Amino acid sequence: MYAYDQYDHALVNARVGEFRDQVNRRLSGELTEEEFRPLRLMNGLYLQLHAYMLRVAIPYGTLSANQMRRLAHIARTYDKGYGHFTTRQNVQFNWPKLVDTPDILQELADVEMHAIQTSGNCIRNVTTDQFAGAAGDEVADPRPYAELLRQWSTFHPEFSFLPRKFKIAITAAKEDRAAVKWHDIGLILKQNDAGETGFEVIVGGGMGRTPVIGKTIRDFLPEADLLSYMEAILRVYNEQGRRDNKYKARIKILVEDLGAEEYARQTEAEWQAIRNNPIDVPAEEAARIRAFFAPPRLEVLSDDVAEVDDLARQNFLFAAWVRNNTGKHKVPGHVHVTISLKPHGGIPGDATDAQMDLVADLADQYSQGEIRVSHAQNLILPHVAKRDLPALWKTLDAAGLGAANQGLLTDIIACPGLDYCALANARSIPIAQAITSRFDDMKRLMDIGPLKIKISGCINACGHHHAGHIGILGVDRRGEENYQLLLGGSGAEDASKAAILGPGFGEEGIVDAVEKVVAVYLGEREDGEEFLATYRRLGPAPFKEAVYGAR
Amino acid sequence: MALVNLTGKETGTWVHIGTETTIEDGAVVAAPLAQLVDADESFFKAVGAVGAVLATDADWRAVAPLANKLSFVVINFPSFSDGRGFSLAVRLRKDLGFRGEIRATGHTIPDQAMHLLRSGFDSVETPDAREEAFKAAVKRYQVFYQSDFTGRTSLAHARHARAEERKAS
Amino acid sequence: MAKKLSGPQMVIANRLDDGRVVFLDRAGGWSVTPANAAVADDEDAIEALANVAAASVAANKVLSVEVIEATTDENGAPWPAHIKFAMQAKGPSVRADLGYQVALNWEN
Repeated sequence: MYAYDQYDHALVNARVGEFRDQVNRRLSGELTEEEFRPLRLMNGLYLQLHAYMLRVAIPYGTLSANQMRRLAHIARTYDKGYGHFTTRQNVQFNWPKLVDTPDILQELADVEMHAIQTSGNCIRNVTTDQFAGAAGDEVADPRPYAELLRQWSTFHPEFSFLPRKFKIAITAAKEDRAAVKWHDIGLILKQNDAGETGFEVIVGGGMGRTPVIGKTIRDFLPEADLLSYMEAILRVYNEQGRRDNKYKARIKILVEDLGAEEYARQTEAEWQAIRNNPIDVPAEEAARIRAFFAPPRLEVLSDDVAEVDDLARQNFLFAAWVRNNTGKHKVPGHVHVTISLKPHGGIPGDATDAQMDLVADLADQYSQGEIRVSHAQNLILPHVAKRDLPALWKTLDAAGLGAANQGLLTDIIACPGLDYCALANARSIPIAQAITSRFDDMKRLMDIGPLKIKISGCINACGHHHAGHIGILGVDRRGEENYQLLLGGSGAEDASKAAILGPGFGEEGIVDAVEKVVAVYLGEREDGEEFLATYRRLGPAPFKEAVYGAR
Repeated sequence: MALVNLTGKETGTWVHIGTETTIEDGAVVAAPLAQLVDADESFFKAVGAVGAVLATDADWRAVAPLANKLSFVVINFPSFSDGRGFSLAVRLRKDLGFRGEIRATGHTIPDQAMHLLRSGFDSVETPDAREEAFKAAVKRYQVFYQSDFTGRTSLAHARHARAEERKAS
Repeated sequence: MAKKLSGPQMVIANRLDDGRVVFLDRAGGWSVTPANAAVADDEDAIEALANVAAASVAANKVLSVEVIEATTDENGAPWPAHIKFAMQAKGPSVRADLGYQVALNWEN
């Protein structure tokens, strides 16, 4: 993991001091709310329905056991005993007081964490593959580049007051677990024919009320040129992105208006003009950062572990958990383990302070003190020896963290919705709870197989409904919560936009509709065919017929 | 209004003129860009020194033909959230090589002092009540993660400065 | 606040220092209890409430002020009519153990 040096510490501490000063100036009335709002947002502080909400950055989803313990401490001391892990690999506290937030930021700074640029019209926390550094299928660990981008984008003098928020994601694996094509900038780490490392650069993806899949503007950008190229993309956007209408202010609209070719041309021209300035870091700095992400020294072990096989034979739930929640590691005899924060009937992404402390202890004991957060709102222990799985699972299961549903229908992404969010039109969490309760049967879930349900409580699409195999969008229909059903989206390398199937439903009706859609899939699928493939093969007609035919 | 000097370079005083204003010979004047684009040589001969007042949405390319006639530039922020003003200053320094004073007017806030300074602004006009906060904000950060076009190099370079020097020698 | 409103109105806001949901009460102060909310039935009375609220915003006591439609709860006390504001009055529906719905959980 990256470790702060004296300069990183100084910057984050200066930021805490600055925010303490800003809070005092707001309380005294020296700053108006209009002026304070963008400043607090750039420190992750929102006002939600019931209280302020603090969004803490977990840079590229990586945190240490000690950092997780600090999050538990903050939940306990300043909040109501829980936190919420988000689709952008961050964590949110739902009840902090404005007057306490400078102290919370200091607590974070002391463990090399912050809430810088987790909101606001600036470059947000860079996200990546939750299995980075552990996954068997990656070209290289993408996190050193994410850290490079974190530093470059932090307090950027020119790009802190952009037309709108700006999100960058990086993946280095064949399987895109970071949804890069749905980001303002998506980067795919790859090697060219000469064996050099670089990026495919994608711009103009985004969700919200106008979902757009990003377009490639450069097939191969040498890794050493990353920052200067980012700067060129951002300058074009900062100058020309629309500022007259916030719903048309994202880069996706500018890329659509100019056309991807023209955006690429302008970016290239600007990049040629600036690339010889000292924007990109010296090779020594790239090497310094990379060294922090050196793979942990793991003993090469056998993949055949009798204790695991024995318990799996005796205990179906353990067998299901091993199958669904663990994945291939670079080092033989090891796996990465997904700790599901999706207990059936529970709140997706929530964890109590005690659960956070437990996960921290388990990370120390079994995973080199390292934890990840996924955009699917789960936690990951990235480096676990297979032989430790029985003991790990028993401890997790006893703490309500043993759900074996990673990647299955009940591994639902849901935004906080109208239960917390001031922007929402409808609740999301109760829909997730109703669906996971209805499908509370592991055998049935495993028969259904991989199926991603994503729920948003409003058009802003924080629950990624456009990218759901099954997407659900909550709307306000004459004062009543109403839910639209979308099918066929994907956030992966085969990114696609989900399409609305038909008229919306009430709370009960949407759960029934999901069940009918699943029934069509089960009846129509070919051997080994997953839900999305069946939908793509058949199109919406049979699903429409099943859901609306009898109405 | 207070004038906060960000860079420590000498700041100028001038009069703002509109289309109807008569100009005294040798006066230091700030005029809207459009007016300067249309002005003939006699105008530039008559005034002592001239600066352009730019809106944040001004195209830097439109300033290019005038750049060597301008002693200073004023960039007027309609709102502090209009970040185009920062890129515009960067363009003046980076693409036009403009060395004169760049001043921010309009709505900016003390928390943007470093953004202004590092984008190429020399001075900022602000209500008196904000002068002290602006001055304090300039001193808050000592190191930066980015190189900028005012000659500051990034922390990434500073961390390895000795290695760089060795390479250069 | 230009939207057309109908029927009795009340005013909801969040306190500046801690974000707590509050209601403009009959004494012109801010109460955490919706039952204490002042309810206005005619345009003048609504405007008077809005003016008190605006003064409170200017004095940096509250923010996010909304004049909202009022109904009554089962005891006949003022209660927000729209689901969003009712949610604010109660706390998250998925955490019955938190928020106003647990009167003692949050100190006033």
